[in-house]
Amino acid sequence: MSAASSPKPRRFLTAAIAALACAVALAPGQAFATQSQVFDPKSRTWVSYDRTKAYQYYKAHGKVPDQYQRRVVSFRTAEEPGTIIIDGNQHFLYLVQPGQTAIRYGIGVGREGFGWAGIVRIGRTAEWPIWTPPAEMVARDPNAAKWVNGQPGGPDNPLGARALYLYEGDRDTIYRIHGTPEPWTMGLSVSSGCIRMVNDDIIDLHSRVKVGAKVIVLMQGAALYKGV
Amino acid sequence: MTILTGCGAKTAILGALLFGAAGCATSDPTPDNMVRPAVETAPADLQLLCASAVQQATGTSRETLPASSQRVSANAYQVNFEVGGTVMACTVDTAGNVLSVQPAAT
Repeated sequence: MSAASSPKPRRFLTAAIAALACAVALAPGQAFATQSQVFDPKSRTWVSYDRTKAYQYYKAHGKVPDQYQRRVVSFRTAEEPGTIIIDGNQHFLYLVQPGQTAIRYGIGVGREGFGWAGIVRIGRTAEWPIWTPPAEMVARDPNAAKWVNGQPGGPDNPLGARALYLYEGDRDTIYRIHGTPEPWTMGLSVSSGCIRMVNDDIIDLHSRVKVGAKVIVLMQGAALYKGV
Repeated sequence: MTILTGCGAKTAILGALLFGAAGCATSDPTPDNMVRPAVETAPADLQLLCASAVQQATGTSRETLPASSQRVSANAYQVNFEVGGTVMACTVDTAGNVLSVQPAAT
């Protein structure tokens, strides 16, 4: 979120919550409420697909699992081309295309308790967005403290290469679809509510979508978005 | 302890092998399916087909989103919606045909 102007108190609170929502990252190896499983070829069983497993897979293969790589799929819908559909349970984002197809991208979503569902729209977009950590993070984390005035966009920025800001009407929901410096987190539920994509994919999506595009977020078990 | 001999033993051994083979036979997932949700839900497009069907069936003006979904057979899913205090169940097959929309059984 841009730090170019002096924010009014409500906008500052919104920005702080947004930064927290999008950029809180938990330490590698920490256990999470698991929503995905990965097949272990050694034991031939399905095991929890958590941050550690995902990182190991990424290091071993040099990429995220095949199903999370961008591709065109069949998608039967009456939604107009250009509509974004997010399936939070299966960790996919679909960009509706003509001819009952969609471009499907792998995503990371909110961790347990931070998921949400709703119908929103893209209010604005940014390239290599600035990330401003909230005051609580600045107070406890020296790495965040150095960015108290905003971390410039770049490869280490938690928002990655692009950000699509989700609005309900004219109000910022605080949620974004954004890139990430942690590509191995596709297929995981680790964020504080934002939808993350690998940078190549968010750049591709950003090039295709328009401000105002409808975004449908499906996430069973999550609360409906009620506003900030 | 029962000791089986002769035909009984052979039958028991064969049965154990077949049962063991059936119980342990798990085909590995394809490379495209190495990760799966811990709880299976209906594909997103089928959920949305049901959402439209439920909206039409109930006459609501607002778009509805599913509350839950699950596979009910090899070729069909049930997608559940909360509409005006009533849980509506939509059954849709994998070809995208909405088979039914009705209040969910309680």
